[in-house]
Amino acid sequence: MVTYDTADNDEHPMLNRLIKLGLLLLAQGIAVMLMAFVALLVSFGTSWSATTEPASLLQPGDARSGTLLLKDDGATTEAIRLGIDIDITVSGPTLRARVTQIFRNPTKDWAEATYVYPLAAGAAVDSLKMVVGDRVIVGDIKERQQARVIYEEARRAGQKAALTEQERPNIFTNSVANIGPGETVLVQIEYQEPVHQSGNEYSLRLPLVVGPRYNPAPIVQSVDFSSDGSGWGAATSAPVPDRDRISPPVLDPARTAPVNPTSITVRLKAGFALGEVRSHHHNVKIESPENTARIITLADGAVPADRDFELTWKPAAEKAPSVGLFREHVGGADYLLAFVTPPNAEQSTQKPLPREVVFVIDNSGSMGGTSMVQAKASLTYALSRLQPTDRFNVIRFDDTMDVLFPASVPADAAHVGEATSFVSALQARGGTEMVPAMRAALADKLGDTGMVRQVVFLTDGAIGNEQQLFEAITAMRGRSRVFMVGIGSAPNTYLMTRAAELGRGAFTHIGSVEQVEERMRGLFAKLENPAVTGLSAKFSEAKADVTPAIIPDVYRDEPLVLAAKLDKLAGSLEIRGHVGDRPWSVTLPLQNAAEGKGLSKLWARRKIGDAEVARAMRELAPEEADKAILTLALDHQIVTRLTSLVAVDKTPNRPEGAPLKLSELPINLPAGWEFEKVFGERSPFPGQLRERHADAGTSPAARRPTSAAPDAIRLPKTATSAELKMIAGLMLIVLALFLFVFNRRQPLLTDVA
Amino acid sequence: MPRLLSPLVLSLIGLILFGDGAFIHAKAWLAQVLLERAFDQSVATGRMVKPWSWADTWPVARVEVKRIGASTIVLEGASGQALAFGPGHIHQTVDAGERGIAVYAGHRDTHFRFVRNVAIGDVIDVTRADGKHFRYRADSSAVVRFDASGIDPTARDVELVLTTCWPFDAVTSGPERYVLHATLIGTGE
Repeated sequence: MVTYDTADNDEHPMLNRLIKLGLLLLAQGIAVMLMAFVALLVSFGTSWSATTEPASLLQPGDARSGTLLLKDDGATTEAIRLGIDIDITVSGPTLRARVTQIFRNPTKDWAEATYVYPLAAGAAVDSLKMVVGDRVIVGDIKERQQARVIYEEARRAGQKAALTEQERPNIFTNSVANIGPGETVLVQIEYQEPVHQSGNEYSLRLPLVVGPRYNPAPIVQSVDFSSDGSGWGAATSAPVPDRDRISPPVLDPARTAPVNPTSITVRLKAGFALGEVRSHHHNVKIESPENTARIITLADGAVPADRDFELTWKPAAEKAPSVGLFREHVGGADYLLAFVTPPNAEQSTQKPLPREVVFVIDNSGSMGGTSMVQAKASLTYALSRLQPTDRFNVIRFDDTMDVLFPASVPADAAHVGEATSFVSALQARGGTEMVPAMRAALADKLGDTGMVRQVVFLTDGAIGNEQQLFEAITAMRGRSRVFMVGIGSAPNTYLMTRAAELGRGAFTHIGSVEQVEERMRGLFAKLENPAVTGLSAKFSEAKADVTPAIIPDVYRDEPLVLAAKLDKLAGSLEIRGHVGDRPWSVTLPLQNAAEGKGLSKLWARRKIGDAEVARAMRELAPEEADKAILTLALDHQIVTRLTSLVAVDKTPNRPEGAPLKLSELPINLPAGWEFEKVFGERSPFPGQLRERHADAGTSPAARRPTSAAPDAIRLPKTATSAELKMIAGLMLIVLALFLFVFNRRQPLLTDVA
Repeated sequence: MPRLLSPLVLSLIGLILFGDGAFIHAKAWLAQVLLERAFDQSVATGRMVKPWSWADTWPVARVEVKRIGASTIVLEGASGQALAFGPGHIHQTVDAGERGIAVYAGHRDTHFRFVRNVAIGDVIDVTRADGKHFRYRADSSAVVRFDASGIDPTARDVELVLTTCWPFDAVTSGPERYVLHATLIGTGE
């Protein structure tokens, strides 16, 4: 070693100087390090002492049994809890549901809670009750703005108040103000809904969760010119102006336990001897007190509100009654509800017309998971049902769009094979830009070739700009007919029904892979068989206000459902139409109608729906339509876009000065959905409760830090590279030490050898 | 000797790197000492006082969270240079105590290391350079992207936002920011 060194010294004086320089730098480095350590100790001091101090937040161990804790980055905050109880009574053609939402405040603060929830699209909400202790406060129907003002005043005054508002015909919001610490407030709404019938199967669908909606960004203004060619039009800017109101926080199922436990009881009085009664997505217990009635309860107690509850029942007899007539006398008028199932056209006498079918499949992120599997299976089944004489095309969309063939092609084996492999390769991702896909599907490139043109649209309908889709269908439908297939555990039923209605088609729901074949077969029966067309209804004696005013075509196995307000219950109702090309008519004597419940509300609800459609299609001026809707809603006490129910407990309750916190109650992700596909990367604060003070005057939306304002402030970069440098530095030093020791050993070993 | 050279060079680079990183902490700590002095002087004299003669920024407020014993002096402006010495008050936003949202940004690993320990409900005290005192209460937190903070500078209430990089323990810097939101609950001289 020594000789080695001396030789070096003699031969490389430069190197010697370099080593000296290195030693100097080393000494300097050590000095800097020492200083740095002192600095580190001081600068870390505060944070170290902080972590040892007990935080004021609740730890999981402190929670009373059964308390729900929302995880909130290490510390846990107790949140407002919600339980739901649903009690449905089916009496013949209608059902009445009572939804009780139990808001419990386990926190030490006064709270305001808002909960966004879905109801069936045809539901007429007509009752709101708030139960505080042993007091029951009954809500009043008011114009929406007025109801909001009443609620806000009560909230500021510290009084308990509840408000039910409609965001969409199938999305409602309940707000409850001034829930005291440790207090429980019950909010109960009731609604009326017709039972759905298809073939000899009756069904009810109870949505329990609002699937997160895709809301297109308001970048492009679209201009719609009025059809009279006057050159005047309206520019529609934001596609979803109320996006905040329909986007409650959604919990990531991978990180938190499901919330909002729901119990369901259905008292089924069908009015005929019952055959099979089946719940499609929940385990149920079915009791049969008599042969026309059943009591259905959930088998495993409460379930998380994360999927639709679907119940179907069939009559014991081979065929369901093809006619049903029900009446109700309310407020000096008679209301009538008629179900008529037209006879099926003879299959053998009619050769199905060749068809042009355009399939549209939604492969957006919200379809991720089981929905995509169902959609693919459905479309594959549909492709296999095509006849060689048919023509077809396939469109897929997320926030982009692909049309498989430039124009519809004959359904020969090669084309169908190509389409099948195209479909099976689809992956769920991205946003849901539905309108361009609908426009592409409705573009009738072949022209009138004597073929029936049908659009089959498979989607979960998870969009917030339903109105734009309806406008596209209305404007471009031409001779095409639109058939909607609702996919997944919580489809947007309002979108399905209204789109099918405007597109003069039909709709079906597929909630699980097992349902694909049965439901698609039903849909194909509708597609392949001629519809009952040219329908009209005439009352022989009574003066009637009938809804729908223009009766739509009725597809195979579907009943024609009419609601009417009559001045007197006399004479008969005659319905005429064409089954295929053969005339058909049926006469129903009104005297035979059975007593029904809540028919006036259903009539009003459908009239309101008609007015909304007329408004959307610009058949009615918006002001006129709004006036009609408001009158109907106030007369029949129904919650609509323009009316809300509000209940206020007059006794002030919250002490002055005590702050009020707002909780937007989180919802579950619908079953089978994939969190990352919808929301991208997991947010670090799942289901975080946003809190605010009550008396701060601004709307909650404006104050939410996460909602991106267009001219929001850009935040500077606030991390130094200090730690990175220090870690890298230490690693290099360790490496150097290692090398040094290793180098020392090496020559020694060779010497010995 | 060349065998000795490589570990020497390596350890040298390592030391320089480590020292550089430590220097950031040292600078942050030392600056706060000087800033503390300058701030006390500004409060006393009512004039803006630069912490050192060549500084291009000056202290505007002291932020304190008594529960966790945290205190730091906020500088005007949130440029990279200013942030090395203390948290910065973002120019486009109002001063603390004014109507609107005042936004203070600071490094997660130095001055705003305490922000992670601020719980909802904690009282945040802000003393302005003119001696006015404001008391805020933390009422929400969120994680946002730096370019989608959602902070509306024209908000109608008197609010305060403390922001720092997220996640707290990351070694490299990313696009996410932690935003702690507080609302005014009291004022005093």
